[in-house]
Amino acid sequence: MTLLQLLVNGMALGAAYALVALGFVLVLNATGAVNFAHGDLVMAGGLLAVALADRLPVPGIVLLPAVLALMAGLGLVVSLAAYLPLHRRPPVAVFISTIAVGIILQNGAAVLFGPEPRAAPPLFAGGVIEVAGLVLARQSLAVVAVAALLIAGQQALFHGTQLGRRLRATAQDPEMARALGIPVTRMILLTFALGSAFAGAAGLLLANQFFVTPTEGGNLILKAYIAVTIGGWGSVPGAVVGALLIALFEVGVSSAVSYPVAAGLLYATLLALLVWRPQGLFGEAARRRA
Amino acid sequence: MRSLAPLFASLFALMAVGRAAVAQEFYIPVLVPVTGFLSLEGTSQRNGALLALKTAPATLSVRADVIDTGTSPEAAVTALERAVGQGGAVAVGASMLGTQMLAMMPLAEEYKVPLVTVSGTAAITEKGNPWVFRFFPGDAVTKQAHARYVVEEMGRRRPAVIYQTTAYGQSGHAHLKELLTGLGASPVYEEGVDPTVKDMLPVITKALAAKPDVLVLHLHSGPTALFVRQAASLGVSLPVVAGSAMHQPSTAALLQPAELKGVCAETAASPVSGGSPGLDAFTADYRAQFNADPDAFALGQYDGTRMVLAALAQGARDAEGVRRYLSRATYEGLAMTYRSDGKGNMAHSATVVCYDGESRTPKPVKRYDNLAGVVK
Repeated sequence: MTLLQLLVNGMALGAAYALVALGFVLVLNATGAVNFAHGDLVMAGGLLAVALADRLPVPGIVLLPAVLALMAGLGLVVSLAAYLPLHRRPPVAVFISTIAVGIILQNGAAVLFGPEPRAAPPLFAGGVIEVAGLVLARQSLAVVAVAALLIAGQQALFHGTQLGRRLRATAQDPEMARALGIPVTRMILLTFALGSAFAGAAGLLLANQFFVTPTEGGNLILKAYIAVTIGGWGSVPGAVVGALLIALFEVGVSSAVSYPVAAGLLYATLLALLVWRPQGLFGEAARRRA
Repeated sequence: MRSLAPLFASLFALMAVGRAAVAQEFYIPVLVPVTGFLSLEGTSQRNGALLALKTAPATLSVRADVIDTGTSPEAAVTALERAVGQGGAVAVGASMLGTQMLAMMPLAEEYKVPLVTVSGTAAITEKGNPWVFRFFPGDAVTKQAHARYVVEEMGRRRPAVIYQTTAYGQSGHAHLKELLTGLGASPVYEEGVDPTVKDMLPVITKALAAKPDVLVLHLHSGPTALFVRQAASLGVSLPVVAGSAMHQPSTAALLQPAELKGVCAETAASPVSGGSPGLDAFTADYRAQFNADPDAFALGQYDGTRMVLAALAQGARDAEGVRRYLSRATYEGLAMTYRSDGKGNMAHSATVVCYDGESRTPKPVKRYDNLAGVVK
């Protein structure tokens, strides 16, 4: 029974991590650069949900479209400020500029919202339900469902529409895409917007059960980075699976051994994986690791 | 006429001294972490210091600057250089981050300026530095209250101790373990939790498997709220006695009142719980000024800064005068009575508060004074 409960908790955490990793890998593929501000965009999404809920006390699911739209707008601003002016420079320039954006977001959030942890509203309702002696948080189940829908929506967009094909073409080979008449810059801006919208959704999902603080971003970007490394650098399904594995590993292993040992084992496993299968589980033709 | 000359000279001298006394401006910089991982506590510290300076006696002219020290020792040292390097500072409201305090202390000794802090790091008052004054009880004091309440008041003998893996958590854990064992209640389960851990179910499951009769926490604010919420959702009926992070109003705000039922916490003070007209007035002023509820860190820094102002009001005119006063005087603060133990530890009391499950404001249930055996 406890095992099932741990599994549900791990799935809920993993679903939110998957959205974080998905947004991260979309931008990575489109630009070839790591967006180090991505974790702080997740934090911004969580605090945005908190701010909206203060003015409009409705369930999180009602706020979700507004969070997606506003975070997409923020993603556009980030790309215009931190990516476009530097995209012809060496990749390290973009790394540094996204780190700077992350620090600005972090300190801006501390000034606007204060340093204390905040909680966003639940997606539908708080509390727990009991199924055959199993105590399940309603929010956990809702997080899994909403994250699955968003990921399915991303897959449908990328694989079932002309826009998606253009986005994928831009990610795979920007020069060839440009030669074929695809507006590459516009596609990259759109990818930033999409990635940030997913970050915002993840922020909303995480901020109810696990709270949100302005300094949250660093840990989340680390999780996304590991998920993408495990899944296969540049692989979208790999990022999602990698994120789920991290969460299940964290929850599962720490229920058997202590948290510090579980964290150590996670990184040891990552190292072993890099040796055994450097291209990651889903091993797409890898771009150069940053 | 010649006989009147000394009289006039004395009169002019007196007038000059009087004018100087009125005109003397005292500089008290406030160097605290308002950004970074300790920004919640650092902001409380800043607010407490600023509120005290705002209510300084009209006879004193006081100037203050706030400089953010972030989280690195280097930033704190630079801030101290910037603030006191120009001279004239009579005291410094100094960071509660132990590593920053340890870095600033040699410089404070060099510049001969007192550091007034609420840092809980034990080492800062164990270096023999006469310029450090801590207005917050350290773990040696608060954990005594924590352990004694669990054993003596609640009668529990099988505690499960869950602590943070940070320096703060490990220090508290070491004290708790020793004190609980000394009281005949050796922990039946102990585990360190990283502050970034999101899901507390694994540690709750393992702790319950050890069949404890009380859950003793020593966690930061967010993890405390996560633990309490998850324990409540699992229907855990064991009492929880948490560390001081639980008493912070921002921690309680993350939880529903019902989730707080049966939860207690140790703290230096709980301003929002009231208890005296002075404390009520402080809380009202703080809310009006900062649109937030004060916590024990804010009150500790407030009391410390007020003691510096008391030193100036009693005639101290420079940093050495303030240091002498802080090291010798007894001061009735709002949270407790402060007096140095000779090492700069000024606070020797702690309180245990409990939540009734109906509101987010805890009620004081037990106060422990003279824990270090210094303030008699």
